Amino acid sequence: MTKKTVEDIVLEIKDKSELMIDLAYSSLLYDNTTIAKEVYDLEDLIDNLYKSLQRQTLESVEKKKLSVDDALAVLRLAEASEQIADAAQEIADVELRDVELHPILKMSIRDSDVVFTRTQVKEGSVLCKKTLGELKLASETGMMVIAMRHGDKWLYGPNKNTKIDSGDVLFAKGPEDGEKHLIELATGKTMEI
Amino acid sequence: MTEKRKLRIFGRLQRTPKEKWKKEEFSELEYEPTPVKELLTEMKDISELIIDLAYSSLLFDNEEISEEVKYLDVRMDKLNYDIRMMAMMATRTKEDAEQLAGILQVAEAAESISNAAGDIVSLRSKGKTGPILPKILKQADEQLFRIKASKDSKACNQKIGDLKVETETGMRLIAIRRGECWIYNPQSDTSIQADDWLITRGTDEGYKDLRKFLHGELEALE
Repeated sequence: MTKKTVEDIVLEIKDKSELMIDLAYSSLLYDNTTIAKEVYDLEDLIDNLYKSLQRQTLESVEKKKLSVDDALAVLRLAEASEQIADAAQEIADVELRDVELHPILKMSIRDSDVVFTRTQVKEGSVLCKKTLGELKLASETGMMVIAMRHGDKWLYGPNKNTKIDSGDVLFAKGPEDGEKHLIELATGKTMEI
Repeated sequence: MTEKRKLRIFGRLQRTPKEKWKKEEFSELEYEPTPVKELLTEMKDISELIIDLAYSSLLFDNEEISEEVKYLDVRMDKLNYDIRMMAMMATRTKEDAEQLAGILQVAEAAESISNAAGDIVSLRSKGKTGPILPKILKQADEQLFRIKASKDSKACNQKIGDLKVETETGMRLIAIRRGECWIYNPQSDTSIQADDWLITRGTDEGYKDLRKFLHGELEALE
C-alpha cells in the first residue's frame, strides 16, 4: 500500500468529521446506539489520523517538501476538523447515556432543512444488486446514503462501489422532497430513478 | 412559527456589514423567551451550514463569506445562551434535568462546531497561507462549486423549490450572491435570477448537470 500523502490525510479527516456529524444527529433521531457507537470509533480513527498527520507534516517540512506556512495551515485545518469530530462525539454521547431522550431532540432534528431518513430496500426494488455509483442515487434523488445495515453488518460512509441488496436498511440525508422519492424507490413503489 | 424565525437569516437577501459580528459580540445579551425546539433547530441548521460556508471561504478566498461565518458563530453564542436559560426555567424535577441536560449537550456541541468553523475562516485571513488549502479542498469527493446563472438559463426567475435543484442534481445550495448582497441557505421559495452566483455542494456529476442548466445549455433538470 502506498503511503498516504499529507493531502490525503487532511481530506480523510475532513470527510470523516462531516460524516460523524451526520451519523451523530441520526443516532439521536432514530434512538440508535449502534450508530452512536460508530461515531465513537470514528473519533478514535480521527485521533490516530491526526497524530500521523502531525508526524508526516513535520517530516515533510524537514525534507523541505512543505513550507512552514503550508504545514501550519494544514495542521490548523485538521485541528478544526478534529474539533468538529469531538463535537459529533458529544452529540452521540447523549444517545449512549442511560437516560431517555427528550422528545424535543428528535423533533428539532426532524424539523430542519436537511432531513435524515431510514428505509429498507424491498425485494424487487430497482436499487437491488446495483452499486451506488451505477444508481447515481445522490445526483438523481438528492439523497446521500451515509450508512447502511446489511444483515447485522453496518457500513458507514459507503462509496460508489457499495452494492445494495434487498433487505438492506439505508440511512440517508437530503432535502425533504428527496426523501419520498428514495423511500418509493426502496419499497418498489416506483421504478423510475 | 419556525419558518418565520429561520427567515431572519436564511433565504433572505442581505448584506452582512464588515465587522458586524464584532458589534453583535459586544452587545448585551438580552433574554428572549423562545421555545427550546426552535432554538435547537436553528442551532442544528447553522452547525451544518457554517462548515460548508467556512470551507467555501477558504476555497474561493472570499472575505464576505468569512464575515458571515463569524457573524453566525456569534449568533450561535446567543442561541446557546437562550437555550440554557429556557432549559433552566423548564426544569422542575430530576427527570426533567436529566433529559434537558442532553439537549444542552447537543446545543453545546453545535456551538463547538461553529467555533471550529470560525477557526477555519481565520486561516484565510492570515494571507500568508498561500494556495495549499484550496488545492487540498478541491480534491474532496463532495466538493464545493461556484456557478454563475446566465440570463439564457430557464432557471431565471424560478423558485428553487419548483426547479427541484437539490432532488434533481443532488447539489445542495449553500449561498447565492446577487450583486453586492448574499442569500445564505436559500429556501425553497428563493428564486434564482440572471447573474446570480450560486455556491453549491455536491458531486462532480451533479455539478456538470447544474452548470449546463444554469448556463442555458440544458432546457430542464431531470
